Amino acid sequence: MFDIIVIGARCAGATTAMLLARKGLKVLVVDRSTFPSDVISTHFLWPHGASYLNRWGLLDRVLEVTPSHTVVNLVNEGIPLEGTVPEELLRQYFQLFHGDDSGIVQRYCSVRRRVLDKLLVDAAVEAGAEVREGFAVDELLEEDGRVVGIRGRTRDGTRVEERARVILGADGRNSFVARTLRLPKFDERLKCTFAYWTYVSGIPLDTVHIHRRGRLGLGLVPTNFGQHMVLVFGPSEWGTTFRRDVPGNFQKALDFISPELGELVRGGQREERFYGTLDQAAFLRPLFGPGWVLAGDAACFRDQCTATGMSHAFRDAELVSTALEEGLSGRKPLEEALKSSYESRRRGQVASAYYDFVCTLAEMRPPRHDDLSLYVALRSNPQETNRFIATMCDVAPVADFFQASNIFLLTDVAKESSSQHPIFERFEATSRTYLQNPFA
Amino acid sequence: MEALNQRDDNELIHSLLDTAERAEKYLSNRSFSEVRTVPESREALRGFALELGATAEETSEMLRNWTTHVPWDELLALRHGAEVAERDEAALHGLWDFLQRELPAVHAALEEMSEPPHLRRSVDPDEEYALDKNLNDFYLPGGRDLLARTEEFHGWVEARRRTETWQYSRLLDAAPGSVASIRNDTGRATRGINFNSQDYFSLNAHPAIREAAAQALREFGPHSAGSPIVLGNTRYSEALESELGELLHMEHVMLFPTGWAAGFGSIIGLVRQEDHVVIDKLAHACLQQGARAATRNVVRFEHLRLESVRQHLQAIRARDSRNGILVVTDGLFSVDADWPDLVTLQALCREYDATLLVDVAHDLGALGPGGSGVLGMQGLLGQVDLVMGSFSKTFASNGGFLATRSEAVKQYVKLFAGTHLFSNALSPTQAAVVLRATRIVRSPEGELLRRRLFRAIHALRDELIGRGRTCMGEPSPIVPLLMGNEKLARITNRLLFDRGVLAFLVEFPVTPVGSARFRLQVQAAHTPEEARTAARIIDEAINDARAYMSSAFGTGLA
Ligand SMILES: Cc1cc2nc3c(=O)[nH]c(=O)nc-3n(C[C@H](O)[C@H](O)[C@H](O)COP(=O)(O)OP(=O)(O)OC[C@H]3O[C@@H](n4cnc5c(N)ncnc54)[C@H](O)[C@@H]3O)c2cc1C
Ligand SMILES: Cc1ncc(COP(=O)(O)O)c(C=O)c1O
Repeated sequence: MFDIIVIGARCAGATTAMLLARKGLKVLVVDRSTFPSDVISTHFLWPHGASYLNRWGLLDRVLEVTPSHTVVNLVNEGIPLEGTVPEELLRQYFQLFHGDDSGIVQRYCSVRRRVLDKLLVDAAVEAGAEVREGFAVDELLEEDGRVVGIRGRTRDGTRVEERARVILGADGRNSFVARTLRLPKFDERLKCTFAYWTYVSGIPLDTVHIHRRGRLGLGLVPTNFGQHMVLVFGPSEWGTTFRRDVPGNFQKALDFISPELGELVRGGQREERFYGTLDQAAFLRPLFGPGWVLAGDAACFRDQCTATGMSHAFRDAELVSTALEEGLSGRKPLEEALKSSYESRRRGQVASAYYDFVCTLAEMRPPRHDDLSLYVALRSNPQETNRFIATMCDVAPVADFFQASNIFLLTDVAKESSSQHPIFERFEATSRTYLQNPFA
Repeated sequence: MEALNQRDDNELIHSLLDTAERAEKYLSNRSFSEVRTVPESREALRGFALELGATAEETSEMLRNWTTHVPWDELLALRHGAEVAERDEAALHGLWDFLQRELPAVHAALEEMSEPPHLRRSVDPDEEYALDKNLNDFYLPGGRDLLARTEEFHGWVEARRRTETWQYSRLLDAAPGSVASIRNDTGRATRGINFNSQDYFSLNAHPAIREAAAQALREFGPHSAGSPIVLGNTRYSEALESELGELLHMEHVMLFPTGWAAGFGSIIGLVRQEDHVVIDKLAHACLQQGARAATRNVVRFEHLRLESVRQHLQAIRARDSRNGILVVTDGLFSVDADWPDLVTLQALCREYDATLLVDVAHDLGALGPGGSGVLGMQGLLGQVDLVMGSFSKTFASNGGFLATRSEAVKQYVKLFAGTHLFSNALSPTQAAVVLRATRIVRSPEGELLRRRLFRAIHALRDELIGRGRTCMGEPSPIVPLLMGNEKLARITNRLLFDRGVLAFLVEFPVTPVGSARFRLQVQAAHTPEEARTAARIIDEAINDARAYMSSAFGTGLA
């Protein structure tokens, strides 16, 4: 009998297991994968994500093998912005969610999941959690309407049953727990991006570059093994035509979005096949019920366009492990602990505003005149640029940036004008051409 | 490390789907005994299994670890199974079993991944457009034709009107009491418990108020016929200034035609290009815009956060000891229903030679001892540098004022605030109504009205909170019911219209994006019972809106 069984041993699961084991609970964590192994993700970790790792004493291990930086480069329709997620806002974020801002760092990095997840699983073992890899759960044990355990099978086919006071589904977007319990999806947002990416060596570029043009975007990020993760994304309705010729359209998209970066990638050496998906509709699921809890993608999935899923999975891990410890130690009734220490922070105003923000971005509409004017205004305002970047990655509340007096003031004091940026010259006509699918 | 020339997952999934389709078709009219006995069928079965197994093996580990609802382990095992099944009966039966029983589900899962339902499902495009956008999306339109470039915005308004999610420009068909009859801007009529009007004391229907209006109308006619600085004021204006002065313990009061004019005018009257304005980021728009019009040196501070005011004042004073600083805040905030610690704020201002301006539009009259508002509650009557307000909430009329203890300030602002100097004065009727209202506010009847008002406020808040809803701020005539998501709020608003509650939905630019709320404005005429009924109806409408959203925009309950 365990205090808790965690299903899924990656960003949400291994971390929660580690944190709970460190608190002295008896934890079993199982995953049908074996480690090290990859999972679909472009694995960019924003500074709050890196800060979590640092709070848990794991960041150094990641940074030993992974390049990291602080400056973020955004280019929208040729309008460049450069900034860093500010320490002050990171502090506010950690205070707001965890009442404790220790261990924050301003670095970001892109760490392959086969590197990161292995490290997380090892940390869970070190903390004293029992980890079983290659273990696929295929049944939930229920008694009196309460989930009380799992059944599953090991790689060699042996069937095993285990029981615990709580079962945590950290089992990803296609959550087995959620499917088995027939949990509803709320507020589903169908519009999303298609994303295709690969790994290229020999690209002489340091910091992260995120470019947008028309309905397409690219990401270029240094990652492990001396390679860059190169990503192209666009509206999912174009994905079906894009994938007819992935290598050709990939390069075509890069060249369209940024000829210079397209050239850099062409000059590099592709090291792996292309990966991709267009199955990224967003949804929320309920967070807990009798005997079960969800965390990470299982609880809330959003499009990749802001690259925040892993950082959020870490946030879930800290919140849910605090709540579970409170509940399982008997200091608070479990339900109450999950409500006040987990649900109230995950489903509050700030979270729902960000959900909207991501889902709107994921529609990949051509940048609006308003958006672009705002970027021009931001160029002369490093402080607000930093805040904008912090807003994009959910460190700062959306409502603080997108607030009338802020936006008015920002545009009032702008020092640069639209005349410096060619996109404004034939804006209407250009926007119209952006609506055509270039891969059709 | 995976090789470069491997096919990408999408191609592989298509190939799996293709095999699955052929296998299902082939097996659909065959029995196991046929497969077992006819060598050709046996080979076909093994062939399908081999194909599936080999293709599954080629898919990336990335994909397999993500799509955990697909039984990849079983698919991978097919290849081995097929080899063995050449002579092993049990293995053959295993293959048969998998292809018969499991394959259709695998097929469906792979298909859903490859062609997710969102590529097929369509929602009402009008409704989607109406619900998805916010006003800030239209703030900076492009193009040199000022008129033509409003069209895009108008297209959005039209989509919202068509889907009845446009909460603006409603019309009253009768006086707005605790119940009101209204039409929405498509002309559809309804009637309901009215939290959509700002008349906190319900003075609009008060006989003495109506009589005051009638008398002034008979005496002076409807027109003031001039700016207050020329000949637009009457003896009612004069009496009103002194009555307000007594309420506020401030000797010098000047009137403006609206509260907006008072806020905007007070700031532009006093602040010059090189001066600074330090303003709460949620202060009313008339103050924000006044600040922007007066100077480029505007800093917004986090709502109610006085440490942040101190930091800003310190920073400004560190580099500028010569120019003025105006610190600006609301008393009772009109969409958050909270208020600052004015004692500390005024002290801070003194410490840094800054001047404090407080907008008491919502609290004066309705809160505090004798209707003295937030200032009275904090023991600050007569002690704040500048106080401005509006008559449009409690005092049953258009109009606003600025109060100061300095005659010089009053005279100066009169001549330098364009909204006072260059605008027609309050009408005699308005001045008479506000004078009468101020007297009621200060009288024992005023106490009674405040008590009634607060009974209704508590009933409304308690019922909403009891139902698990979030009412922001403090008990006050403004009850902000937090909705957050604009989509949910707009659908709720549409439902409420026909269910007998009139409530105003506020969203950007009144609230920040993602922070929509219903601003319920309570009146003394609301009975606690009405308030509770309304709360129940609102709560149900929110539940129904949620259900609607997950059926129209999602899969709903599984
Ligand atoms: C295209 C794409 C790009 C992305 N890019 C980024 C990015 O750049 N940055 C970022 O932060 N996020 C990104 N994300 C999101 C991020 O990858 C996820 O949010 C994150 O992986 C979620 O972690 P998790 O632990 O919740 O789930 P997962 O990482 O999906 O882990 C779930 C685990 O549960 C196991 N499991 C499932 N069912 C069972 C079962 N029945 N029995 C046993 N084990 C089971 C699985 O084997 C798996 O290992 C991206 C997502 C996509 C789709
Ligand atoms: C805080 C505040 N100040 C000023 C005003 C403007 O008042 P009026 O409606 O009289 O123009 C309002 C009302 O909208 C307000 O809420």
